[in-house]
Order: sequence, then structure tokens, then C-alpha cells
Amino acid sequence: MPHIADRQSVFLALINVIVLVAGALLAGSNFVDSYNLQIMAAQVPELGLLALGVTLAMISGNGGIDLSGIALANLAGITAFLIARQILVPADAPMTFAWTFAALALCVGVIGGLLNGLMIAFAGLTPLIATLGTQLLFTGISVWLTNGSSVSLGYIQPLDDFGNLPVLGVPLCFTLFLLVAGLVGYVLRCTPFGVKLTLLGSNAKAARYGGIPARRMIVTTYTIAGILASIAGIVIASRNASVKWDYGSSYVLIAILIAVLGGVKPEGGYGRVLSVLLAATALQILSSLFNFLGISNFFRDLAWGVLLLALLASARIDLSLWLRPAR
Amino acid sequence: MKIFAKLAGSVVLAGSMAATAVMAQDDQSITTVVKITGEGWFVRMDEGVKAFDTEHDDVTAVQVGPAQADAAQQARIIEDLVAKGVSAVAVVPMDPSALEGVLRRAQQRGIKVIAHEGDSIVNADADIEAFDNAAFGRRINDGLAECMGGEGKWTSFVGSLGSLTHNIWADAGAESAAANHPGMELVAAKNESFNDANKAYEKAKEILRAHPDIKGFQGSSAIDVIGIGRAVEEAGLVGKVCVFGLGLPKDTGPYLESGAVNRIYFWDPKDAGYVMNVVSKKILDGEEITDGMDLGVPGYNSVKVSQGPGKGIIIQGEAWVDVGKDEYKNYPF
Repeated sequence: MPHIADRQSVFLALINVIVLVAGALLAGSNFVDSYNLQIMAAQVPELGLLALGVTLAMISGNGGIDLSGIALANLAGITAFLIARQILVPADAPMTFAWTFAALALCVGVIGGLLNGLMIAFAGLTPLIATLGTQLLFTGISVWLTNGSSVSLGYIQPLDDFGNLPVLGVPLCFTLFLLVAGLVGYVLRCTPFGVKLTLLGSNAKAARYGGIPARRMIVTTYTIAGILASIAGIVIASRNASVKWDYGSSYVLIAILIAVLGGVKPEGGYGRVLSVLLAATALQILSSLFNFLGISNFFRDLAWGVLLLALLASARIDLSLWLRPAR
Repeated sequence: MKIFAKLAGSVVLAGSMAATAVMAQDDQSITTVVKITGEGWFVRMDEGVKAFDTEHDDVTAVQVGPAQADAAQQARIIEDLVAKGVSAVAVVPMDPSALEGVLRRAQQRGIKVIAHEGDSIVNADADIEAFDNAAFGRRINDGLAECMGGEGKWTSFVGSLGSLTHNIWADAGAESAAANHPGMELVAAKNESFNDANKAYEKAKEILRAHPDIKGFQGSSAIDVIGIGRAVEEAGLVGKVCVFGLGLPKDTGPYLESGAVNRIYFWDPKDAGYVMNVVSKKILDGEEITDGMDLGVPGYNSVKVSQGPGKGIIIQGEAWVDVGKDEYKNYPF
């Protein structure tokens, strides 16, 4: 198992490199200059964080999925800004405002994720149905709070810096994304929680007989997914200087696509954060390349579909036979 | 090693496909970013952009847009264009406030930003409005009021509550009706169609059920009248219910013929696409755009220039057109 997993990461890393090289050749040196690399890096976290949430939900098994991610991200951004605006004036203490905003958003994420977890673990709903329901609920609350219009944050320097400023050449939001991804990866691989989650996802019955507290695990998992969504909400708010209920309405499926591209098993029990991360960057570089070349955005969807099918096919075929030195 | 060969092969394949897209080096490149690709309105706008491109050898003008109407995807396209280093971005914003950040960064990189239908944008060098939006909304409502005989229930549709211009038209229409026709009663105002004819159709059916005595509809998105017209036709109310609003001649034609839609109001997106590029080029060349200037495009022969919310200007033409059953064929789009 581990060596197949590693090969998947290598395969994805290769795709990253190949698309980058192809970009440099086709689109000119602008494509690989530091500015574009920073732009691409800053675009990854929104989707990457949502994909990590989907990854966790999928690993937990039992048809695990989180459709409510982007809805919760938008709700977190909207609620946090509306409340923070009530208690603080952004212009007076921008830094305090930014931290308050972030803390409030995280709270919304915890509540939303907890709700998902409780619905699935205790009300016994299928994750697909439960998160579809909460997706509508979160969207509905967002529309109700904003009357459907977007809410402009104005220029709040710490938030704008967080969304766009490169420190040591790396955009801050991307650094945060890497840290979060690293943390999730560590939890999955090296902590009892991660091991138990994998076991639970592989065989729920065996896990229950083995004394794993399934319900508590599920609640925790979806709560973490909620927190990841709210971090995405913070990133979205700071990068766009505005929040709106239908921002990123196309993200639901793309986040799932990234998780599956990253080799996460939709049936549960397996998923590696590194692969998901590489899948997210690969999609990003590909989509930026298409924008550079002025290729229709419809073609991009097509290319993603081909990439997904190719990866799924490659996972079903035993590559070790091909890669063994010639006999 | 086969895997490497395969990957290399696919790169070559992708490369040959993309190579055709690599454009010749021109002095200036203007990219028009629309809300969504493939929709009738923006297909027509693309004609204007292409016309500008062929008529100006020293400029590369292209139009791009997301496959789905999503402000996030539009912002990403602009970010990538900024990184690519185009000379000017002409944008028809999905949601103006969601683009402020990326447009500010574009301007910081020395890229000129021209907007269309986004007069609230701070970070733009110029915004082009086809006409005074409030006057346009009143104009549609005047037609509706005349058809309704100044009496009865009516309602309005908008693409989304976030679409600024749609809301101005709907609000101006409502104000005009309230001020001039006390007999007109606005019910369930500003239904969202999400720029989707099917959603407009379903919303209109709901309204016809909820208010069987409704007499008028005012649409804002180009597809609103299509969905409403279909619902009116199915309910057998042609001639009894008045349908007025923004619309495209070709798409709305069958409904104008059947009488389900009475009159459509629009501006020619081809001219708008063309004039966006004219303004972009003038700004790139350092030319000042002044009040009363002739931009050489129908409806923009004597533009009104005013100060925008930011450092940029707002350019306003008088480019509206309205057609009924008899005249719509004059506009082949």
C-alpha cells in the first residue's frame, strides 16, 4: 500500500512539473516568473482548504462527503464581518478587527461543522443528504443576512496583506494553507485519531467492535471540515475584500474533484494530504495556463475530466508491472 | 518508463492544440472579460470585440469569460491576465465589489481597467454605461404602464439581487409607477432569475398562481422575458398580461411574434464590446475622454463624462434601443 501511495504523489508531482514546463514553453516566461507563481499560489488555498474538508469526510467512510463547504465558508465570512462591524470600526484598529473577524469566522465554522457531524452521527443521516441540507441552510442564512447582495469589506490592510502579500516570496494565505495541510496530514498519519479514522473508514463494523467511538469520531471529523471551510471563508474575504452568498458556487464539485484526483477513496479509509495538495496545485496551474493561452473555459472542464479519468484508470491498473525494469 | 512517454505524449498533444492560441506579438493587448461565455448577449459582444481587433492592426483584442457565471471564476481569470501582463482589461463584472481587490492589483501593475455596467467600481480607469440606468428603468416601466392602462398588479424580475444595474432598473420602474400611476400595484417585487430562462419561467409560473389577476411583468436579465413569456403562453394569458423588459431580438423573437412578450428594450452588446475597446485604446494612448466626445460608435456619439466613485471616470452614452413585434428583425442577434 505505501509504495502505491508514494507513486501517486510522484505521479501528481510530475503532472505539476510537466504543466509548469509546458506553460513556460507555450505561454512564455511570464508564466513562470515569480509574480505569476505567487498569483497561482494565492489562488490555491480557497479550493485546497475545501478539498481537505472533503478529504476528511471521505476518509471517515460511510459514504462520507461534505457538500456544505463553500456555503459554510461564505456564511462564516458574512457572519463574521457583520458581527465584527458591529463591535469594532475597521479603520480604527485594523489589526484587532482582522483577528476578531478571523476568530468569529472560525466559531461559525465550528458550529456549522458540529451541526453536520451531529446530523450524520446522531440523526443517522447519510452524509450526502445531511450536508446537502446544511448547504441549503447555510446559503439560506447568508442570503437572509445580506438580502442577497454582496457585502463589501472595504480596504482593511491586514486582511488584504494576508490575502495577497508575499512574505519571503510566498503569499501569506498560501503559507497558512501549507501549515494547515501539514497539520491535517500529521493528525491523519501520526496521531491515534488519524489511525482510528482510517480504520473506521475502512470497516465501520470492525472499528465499532474494536472499541472505536464511531459517533464521536464522525462529529470531530466534520467539525474539523467545518473549521477548514471557515478558514477558506477568511481567505475568500481577504482576497476579494467582499463576501457574498453565492461566491464560488462552482467550488462544490471542484473540491470533490481535487480530493478524488488526490487519490482519496470515496468509499472511505484512505487518503493522503500530500496527494490532495499536489492535485490542487496541478489543477490550479492547468487552469492558469488555460487562461494565459486564452483557451475557452469550457475546454478546461473537459481537460479536468480527462485528467480525473486518467488518474482513476491508473489507480485501477497495477503500475508496478510496468515500472519494473525490463525482464 | 512508459508512463513518462505517455505524459510526454499528452504534453505534445496539448501543446499542438494550444500553439494555435498563442498570439502574435502586438503593441497593445486588450482583453475583454465577460460574465459568462456562450450566452447570446456575450456572443454578440464578442462580435464587437472581434470587429475592433480586425480593424486595428496594432492591437490584439480578445474576449474571455468563465464557463459558469461565478464571481470567483471571473476574479481568477482577471488575476491570471494580470500575471500574463495584458495592457488593458475591459470587464463586465459579475459582482463589482468582488473584483475590487484584483482590479486594484491590476492597476498597481500598470494595467488599465475599463468596466462596463459597473459604475460602483472604485478601481477602474473608466466605466462605460450604455445610458442612464434610472432613465432606462423608467422607460421600460412607461411602456408597461401604457400597456396595462395604468392599472393592476405587476411585478419585476432581476438577474440577481447582487446585479447592480438590474436593481436600478427595477427600482426606477417601481418609483415611476408609484409616482405616475397610483392604480398600479407592485407585488412580489424583484424576483431572482439567476440569468436562467428556466428559473425565470418557474418563478413566473409561481407568480401567476399566487396572483391570478396579475397584469404586468418587468424583466431585467436578457432571459427574464423569455421565461416569463413561456409561462404566460402556457397559462393562455397572451394579450391579457403585459411583458416588458430587457431582451435580445433573436432569442425573444418567437415570443414577440406570439404576443406573449410585448416589447423588449436593450442596447447592442456588439457596440458595447466595441466601445469598451475604443475607450481602452484611448486610455492606453493617453488620450483624455471629454464630455460630448464622439467615440465613433452608434449611441456613443456624444457621451456624458462624469467623475466615478474612484479616480476613474464614468462614460455614459444614449445607446438604448427598443423594439416590438414589427421591428425586432432589424437586429440580427
